[in-house]
Amino acid sequence: MQFIFEIILNLIGFLVGVVIGILSYTGFKNTGSPTLFRLTIAFLSISIGFGVVGAGFLTESLVIKSGDIEPWIQTLGIGIQTVGYFFIAFSHSIKAFFPKSRYFRTIAVPLFVIPGNSIEHIIRSISFILLIYGTIETILSYMENKKSSTVFVASGLGLLALGEFLGWYSVVFPQSVLYYVSISTKIAGLGALFVPVSKMPLTGMKFGGSI
Amino acid sequence: MAAVYRTHMSIIGDILATTRDEAPDESGASVTYLIRKANVSHVRLSKILEMLVQQGLLEQRSSDRACKYKISDRGREFLQAYRGFREFADNFGLRI
Repeated sequence: MQFIFEIILNLIGFLVGVVIGILSYTGFKNTGSPTLFRLTIAFLSISIGFGVVGAGFLTESLVIKSGDIEPWIQTLGIGIQTVGYFFIAFSHSIKAFFPKSRYFRTIAVPLFVIPGNSIEHIIRSISFILLIYGTIETILSYMENKKSSTVFVASGLGLLALGEFLGWYSVVFPQSVLYYVSISTKIAGLGALFVPVSKMPLTGMKFGGSI
Repeated sequence: MAAVYRTHMSIIGDILATTRDEAPDESGASVTYLIRKANVSHVRLSKILEMLVQQGLLEQRSSDRACKYKISDRGREFLQAYRGFREFADNFGLRI
């Protein structure tokens, strides 16, 4: 049961990340916007992170069948996702503190700020903080632009944060229902993130050359 | 009230939108008109206009008194794409 939940979550996470990442990349390629570049890195990282964990569970259930996934695979996947969450939060911090920043801050600064510790629950707690920060900044943006689609993104990030928190808590209380609640919450969060993106009329936007 | 910073991209969007929607006549918008409407300094506007003409997003037309700028078909496509991606970034509470 746990493996099925995990595979579903990670498949959804992978697909949502890929779709939003590709849209962001298309936007970056067309406009040269550093914001869209950061979103590309963020969502492709999130996608790869989900993909790594999903592939681990899939390999485990179909090939290895030892009954549990290798801990390092899960830690690696969550770590890659955290990089993605970091870039979402970092995009907001750029907007808040460095409104005139360009490519250097897009690439160089995060490399020095990303913590090196790779223990799973520490990574989860970092993800949680980054997601909460992203949620708060998105809510603040909603208060400025009053767009309902921004509420979906804020809800999505908030649910992902709650999912991470419950996921961390389920480490403290293993074998509890918290784990399944955590995964369900994350799926709901990813769904909410995808709602505004699915409404975007981006078909036909194949303009070439960047500014 | 907090200052609202415009990104380089949003200034380009404003210039293109001005030449498309608010050009005073068929021959296009003059530099003076763009400075006033897009709220950009002359030095910065000149650099951006040169780049937009090079990229084929604006057409430069010389008249008796001054150069005028008119949006090209490529510029219209770009502006439409820019607005779509601006909406996309807005959903995340970000500015492109």
